[in-house]
Formats: sequence, structure tokens, C-alpha cells
Amino acid sequence: MTPMLQNVLLILVMALATPAWAEPLPVKEVAAGVYVHQGAHEDLDAGYHGDICNIGFVVGSKGVAVIDSGGTLDVGRRLREAIRKITDLPILYVINTHVHPDHIFGNAAFREDNPVYVGHAKLPEAMERRKESYMRNNMAWLGEAFAGSEMIKPTRTVDGTLELDLGGRTLQLTAWPPAHTHADLTVLDRATATLWTGDLLFVERTPSMDGDTLNWIKLIPQLKALPAARAIPGHGTPTEQWQAAFDNQQRYFQVLLDDLRAAIKKGVPMEKAMETAAAGEKAHWVLFDNVNRRNVNLLYPLLEWE
Amino acid sequence: MPTRPLMWIASAILISLSHSPVVFAEASEALWPVVKEAFFAGKNIEPADFIRLEGPRRAESGAQVPVTLTIDKAPDAPDAIKKVYLIVDANPIPLAAIYHFTPLNGKAQISTRIRMETDSYIHAVGETADGKLYMTALPIRAAGGCGGLVDSDEAAIRATAGKMKVNLEEPIKFGEPNPATLLIKHPMFTGLQRDLASGGYRPAFYIQKVELTYNGKPVMHVDLGVGTSEDPYLRFFYRPDAPGVMDIKATDNEGKEFTHQVEVKG
Repeated sequence: MTPMLQNVLLILVMALATPAWAEPLPVKEVAAGVYVHQGAHEDLDAGYHGDICNIGFVVGSKGVAVIDSGGTLDVGRRLREAIRKITDLPILYVINTHVHPDHIFGNAAFREDNPVYVGHAKLPEAMERRKESYMRNNMAWLGEAFAGSEMIKPTRTVDGTLELDLGGRTLQLTAWPPAHTHADLTVLDRATATLWTGDLLFVERTPSMDGDTLNWIKLIPQLKALPAARAIPGHGTPTEQWQAAFDNQQRYFQVLLDDLRAAIKKGVPMEKAMETAAAGEKAHWVLFDNVNRRNVNLLYPLLEWE
Repeated sequence: MPTRPLMWIASAILISLSHSPVVFAEASEALWPVVKEAFFAGKNIEPADFIRLEGPRRAESGAQVPVTLTIDKAPDAPDAIKKVYLIVDANPIPLAAIYHFTPLNGKAQISTRIRMETDSYIHAVGETADGKLYMTALPIRAAGGCGGLVDSDEAAIRATAGKMKVNLEEPIKFGEPNPATLLIKHPMFTGLQRDLASGGYRPAFYIQKVELTYNGKPVMHVDLGVGTSEDPYLRFFYRPDAPGVMDIKATDNEGKEFTHQVEVKG
């Protein structure tokens, strides 16, 4: 074997032994030390690529907290690369705002950092309940692109509130009663008054329902009262007009509920209600037809018992 | 019910699913010959236009898939369809329900909500009084309605199980088929759902039979399977000849009976 061939082989072996290099995700600094990557508005269905929600990180003087990790190991790795372009500080926390697959399946990308994984006290149970079907669905939607993605449960949970010190700034985590899901968590960065709402707030994208929508509606005044100057919603553009965004969401909920209750009273079946309920809201939201129909499928059978 | 063959197809399908790399293929026509033999061994089933199925092309939720079954033939015709099997080919337990019609239905149409574990054909097989079989099929794309994990707050579940609600569409037209909706509060545990507390499978617990009478005369009865969704929903027709009372009796698989009565006024 020639020395040159030996070198080529050596390089090849080294390339195989190092983890695949991941293209850093584009991120935007929406407030000092607060970075967001905004996913695309794709449906969780065929055509889903694993990068549809807002994920990001907050940098303190001691270390970094990741807030949601994306829908695949690869998206998580690319988020990690984005962090490494900005700081070499240790990644201390990986916080999941809720159980949905687009927010959690990048968790494994941070395992080598040995972070504390943080979530709502009910998140481990919610993950366990959905593990089987999430793994199956995401494999079907994403195929190879889902390879290596895992469900990693929180190692520290929040019941009520929890403060995380990143050095020079404190994150205040709040665990909410059932709303968008049964385990929603918000993260408030006090230093910049930036609120990560998780999917308790949707901007542009039609709000999707899963946990307890009637309770979610009741919580909106409390959410709006949080001391924030801007919010990073679960989906859509981060905004300083975040209280108005909650009002938009509230309006959609109320129109949908009113229409469904009227439909049930008139004996309009669920299938028909899917076509008509909240139709006036369609112009205001992305992916309205798909998501609104699912919301009807969830709400109608519950409202029938009122 | 032929329970043993059903268990057998359940395991055959589970095994085939666990070995297939892509679980979400389109609805497969390959399952029907196996399912058909389990329910109707050796019998001939003729495709028929007068049995119609309507449902979403793609279900919004595998847990509550709305379907409507219509028989375009009067329930008092000499060759009337007396009962219809509603079968989801790819469900681990394929039978959703068997509907038994009488002339007092006035019109043989049922809307219900079913569970679907994956993309599947659903079959409606109608049987005449002399045992002739007719069928129609509809493919639906869906996911995840049968398994998963359930809450195990036994006391809370049992406290409300069996509550019923009936909505009569008004005005009531005597001598004609009138639509009505029956809702039954019930978890309809499939026996395939894991229990988070025990780690094992939550035993099946479901409404097995619903019997409907009008002024004491049988209108219809339904044999329900766990393919019928949680909080069973049935929209059906009844033909009242005069004001009276509709009685509903529901029986669960543990033998417990629940009753409900509605007055039908002029």
C-alpha cells in the first residue's frame, strides 16, 4: 500500500468515525441572547419534514438553555450547530414545552452535553402514552429522516413554577393545567421579558387542539397577564403584539365553539360541521382546512354531552 | 360471534404489521379474503350497489371516524336486508358492529363513529332473512384509534358509564321514518390499550348490545364491537305510528344493563 493510499484510507476512516456534520439552522436573535429558529408551516402529515415549530435557545453567562428541540434528531443537531456558532458555553438545559412530536424529537442531539432535560410534571406520562404511535407515525411521515430520533423524557419536572439560573439571567418556567395538551410549560426570560409560550399561542398557523380546549380558553386571561414584552409562539412569527395574538386565537376558539354548539342543537352531524364550523375564520389562518376539521373531530363529540 | 377465528386474525394482522417496515401503506385489499373467511367461511358474498358507505377519504382522527351506512331498499321489502356487519379489515379486532333492522326503522340507515388503527377498507355486509349476503367496501386512510394507553381511574369511568342521551329530530312525522340520535357514555375499552398504572393491558370493557323498542315493539338492535368509538354515537331512523315511548336498553360485556326512555309527542 502506498503512503498516499494509506492517508486517503485514514481520512475516510476518520470521516466515518466522526458524527455527520450538520448544517447549522438559521436562527434570529429576537432579544439579547434569545435566539429563535422559525419552522415552516407544514401539516403533521405526508409532506412533513420535521421542522415546523419555533425552537431556540437562551444564552446566559454560565450556559445555555435549549427550548424545544425540533421534530428529528437531525433538526436537533442542526440547532446544536447553530448554538455552537454563537457560544461555546455548556448546554445546561433542554426544555420541552409539551409532548408534541415536532417539539421533542431533537432531544437526543444534546445527549453528549449531558443536560438536564426539563418538562411539565405530567410530561413523562404524556410521552409514555404516545411513544408507540408517535414513533410509528413519524417513521411513516419522515422515513430515513427520522433515523436516530428518540423520545427522551425530562430528568427534572415542573409542578407549579421553577427557576433556572443561566448566569446573569433567570428563566421562569410555569407548568399549566390542561390546555393545548395535558402538560404545557411556558418559559419566561426575565432579563428581556421574552415569553416562550409553546403551543399555548399560535400565530398565523391554525391553533390545534389536543388537551382541554375549554380550560385553555379560561387560561388565556392569565397568560395575557404575564409580564412579557414579546412572545415567541409555538408556531409563527415572534411578536411584540402578543396579547393581540392571544385575542385572535381566543376569537377563533369562540367562533368554533359557538358554531359547533349551534350545529349540535340543530342536529347538524359532525361530518357536515367539519365543512362549515368557523368557516369565517379561514382567511385568518394557515392550514385551516386540515387543522380546523381535526379540531371539530375532537370537540364535537365532547360538546354533544353539554 | 366466532371468537377464535377473530383472535387468530387479530394476531395474524398484528404480526404482519409488526413485520412491515411501512405501516401506513394505502388501504390494502389483501386483508379482506382472510377477514371474510373468519366471519363468513365458505359463503358467497355478492357486491351490491344498494348498500352504500360514506366516510372521509382520510380520517381526521382514527379514534372517531364518522361513517354512514345506507341500505337503498325498504326494510319491509320481501328481500330486505335484515342485518349488516360493519367490518374494518385492518383493525386488530375487525368487527365494529352488527346492525339488525326491522320494518319499524322505516329506513335502514345508520351513522356512527368507528375506530381505525391504520389505513383500511371498511366492509358493510348485508344479510337477507334467507341468508343471502351482499357487500360494499370503502377505503379510508386513518391512524391509531385502537391501541395506546388509557387512564385507569376506574371509579370515575364507572360512575358515568352507561349514561344515555337521545335527540329526536322535530317535528315528529307519524307514519314516516324519523331520524334520532343516541349517545351512550362509555369508554369502550378495546382490550388492546395499555394501562399506565399496571403496565399491562386494560381488559376490554364495552357496550355489547343496544336494543330499541317503540311502544314495546322492537325497532332495531345493535351488537357492538370495540371498533365502535368511545361514547358510542348512533344516528338511526324509527317509524312511529302514534305518540308513545322509545325505550333503549344497553348491555355491557360484564352483563350490566342500562336503560333510557324518551317520550315521543305529537
